[in-house]
Amino acid sequence: MEMMIYALASVKKNPEKLNMLLSRMKGISGAGIYAVNFNEISAVVSDINRADLIADRSNALEYAEVIETLAQQFTLLPMRFGSLMESTEAIIKMLERNYNEIQHNLQKVESKWEFGLKIFCDPEKLKAELMAKSEADIKTSAKPTPETRNSVYRDYVNNKLKEHRLEELILTYVDSVIAELTGHLARLNAVNKFKKMATASTIIDAVFLLDKDKKGELIQAVEALQKHYAGLNFVLTGPWPPYNFVEITIK
Amino acid sequence: MSENKILFNTGSLEEISEEIGKITNNEESRLKLTPDNADSGLAKLVLTLVELIRKLVEKQAMRRVDGGSLTEEEIERLGETLMKLELKMEELKKHFNLTDRDLNINLGPLGDLM
Repeated sequence: MEMMIYALASVKKNPEKLNMLLSRMKGISGAGIYAVNFNEISAVVSDINRADLIADRSNALEYAEVIETLAQQFTLLPMRFGSLMESTEAIIKMLERNYNEIQHNLQKVESKWEFGLKIFCDPEKLKAELMAKSEADIKTSAKPTPETRNSVYRDYVNNKLKEHRLEELILTYVDSVIAELTGHLARLNAVNKFKKMATASTIIDAVFLLDKDKKGELIQAVEALQKHYAGLNFVLTGPWPPYNFVEITIK
Repeated sequence: MSENKILFNTGSLEEISEEIGKITNNEESRLKLTPDNADSGLAKLVLTLVELIRKLVEKQAMRRVDGGSLTEEEIERLGETLMKLELKMEELKKHFNLTDRDLNINLGPLGDLM
């Protein structure tokens, strides 16, 4: 039997509050949950057989449910699904070795929630719009088009060049959406992480960490952005525990 | 994702769910190396790297063409080279029974390779 860690929670001087909550909760496959403490940090764990730890949807949801419930009352750092240690002693030693770094990360996420924003487009429609705009700009600038040879190889390069320019146009467009969003978020003191072009349709996949009381302002900022980019679809989700803002390499 | 976690949404939930599925569960593009498929798995891995390098070369070449630093003769030769590389790649994919999608390996949290 090994011990699976769900999260590292800041219990300050009050571990009893955590123990009370854990006594009412169930972990993966109905396993009991308890805390392993070191100073002001508790590792929230369940005893589990490695062979029973299957990374399927049901287990992942149960795992997330535990973290979600804890996050309602405690500042915590979610652990990656399947983080196993062999004994209570090993966990205490790990907490001791990494104590300063864990505390530093806990302070960073204290009183904050994570929010996710995905921005989707219709790729063909967006390409057509950007191409039309680009062609209009070229006509306005009235630059003479250089004479080119007509050959199969030159045609091949021309086609590739067209694709390349279109990709550049899309990236510039995505950067402009991110710049505007970043402007809104700066006023909320949010920490942001952006991923561009996760798929052809998901042009932006972003996560933000911001104060719990700024949820309403975030929604307003996203609404304002959507009005400016009416052709894009926006999905804002949260609040979530800070899954994407834990930066510790456990020693 | 439970609906009460959605704070603002302007698309249809079905479409969004499908898109999120593509980001988070790209099963078919994962590299699955096992003792039974070592040959084809290795071919997939090698061709993926070759394709990645070919695409990078192509991108760099287009930057240079776009920058206007190449002569017509150089562009002509570049076109011939890139076209032959692409055709050769198509042959290799056919030989190992692989598609473009197979070569776009999913790197988990980092997204797709290409």
